[in-house]
Amino acid sequence: MLKGMVLAWVLVWVWALMQGIVFQLRAPEKAFASMVTWFAPMPVAYVLLHLLTPADLGLLPERFVGGAAALSLLNGLALLVLLFLTGVLFYYHADRSITVRLLIEMARAPQQRMSVDQMQAVCGVEVLMHDRLRTMAMNGFLEERGGGYHLAPKGRLGGVAGAIARRVLAMKAL
Amino acid sequence: MKGVTLAAAAFLLLVVGSALALRVYRGNKEFKVFLGAFAAAALGYAAAFPLTPPDLGVLPGGWLEPSAPVDFANGLFILALVFHGFWCFAYFACLSPSMGVMVELRARGARGISAEEAIAMQGREEPVNLIFQRRLPKLIAGGYISKEGGAYRLLPPGERVAALGAFLKRLINADAPLVGSRPC
Repeated sequence: MLKGMVLAWVLVWVWALMQGIVFQLRAPEKAFASMVTWFAPMPVAYVLLHLLTPADLGLLPERFVGGAAALSLLNGLALLVLLFLTGVLFYYHADRSITVRLLIEMARAPQQRMSVDQMQAVCGVEVLMHDRLRTMAMNGFLEERGGGYHLAPKGRLGGVAGAIARRVLAMKAL
Repeated sequence: MKGVTLAAAAFLLLVVGSALALRVYRGNKEFKVFLGAFAAAALGYAAAFPLTPPDLGVLPGGWLEPSAPVDFANGLFILALVFHGFWCFAYFACLSPSMGVMVELRARGARGISAEEAIAMQGREEPVNLIFQRRLPKLIAGGYISKEGGAYRLLPPGERVAALGAFLKRLINADAPLVGSRPC
């Protein structure tokens, strides 16, 4: 099983490195689509590597080697996908966190001080919501027509998931 | 597979436990509920692992991992990754302004929403809108900022978080400090 785990780790770092280079060269408008595109070859590479490499990868201690190869393959594949999703979440943490953005704006402000009006001008609800509506429309969650926004099929699924989660988890919006 | 199976059971209990705990929790530091649930799940997993047979009484012989430490670490690691995903989903689903719009649109049926209405949902008319009402008190309580007169000042811990955040944004090429260019 360790072989699959090691291969999954190596490949997710390869992907993260490649994705970092892609983002540096040109920040894509559709970040998630870009991440999926660049990750897509990794499961294929993983399966090939798992099939073609020795059970100990030439470096694993003997006591950690053994067990069903198919189990190691599937476990590593699941791990690879989970690590990818964690990487995607990392991207959104870094890109979308309102709190972090606010602190960065404060660090850049004269004497590192800001009034609420200044905060609202750079990170307030108008700025935020216009951006989010535009992004959701661009990514196919909303459709813009008749001067307003409507749910696209993908957004309808999101709305159902959100409504269920809000009912089950009962977290307060404030 | 024992580790993964126990991790799956622990995660199920974690979801149920955190959902129940959130119903009775009255504060606004929900992350404590999630972290508490994860700690309990991880401890439960660690306690159950040595106490149960390798096949858990149900797993086929071919599904067993010969190395118990590898099996244990694998299950714990998967539990942590899945918990992180659940935690992020919970915050996104319940607190994200984007999800708020989708949930509101679902409730409205065929009626759409204008940008003005979406903004109003976030309490623009209030002196400190919802986005800040939730965050500023937490940042003050955490020692990241302080309130001085009519303004807020960044404190050293907040400066460190800002520096880390700016570094991460540079890593993903998302650093755009100008107003309106790439809002939060």
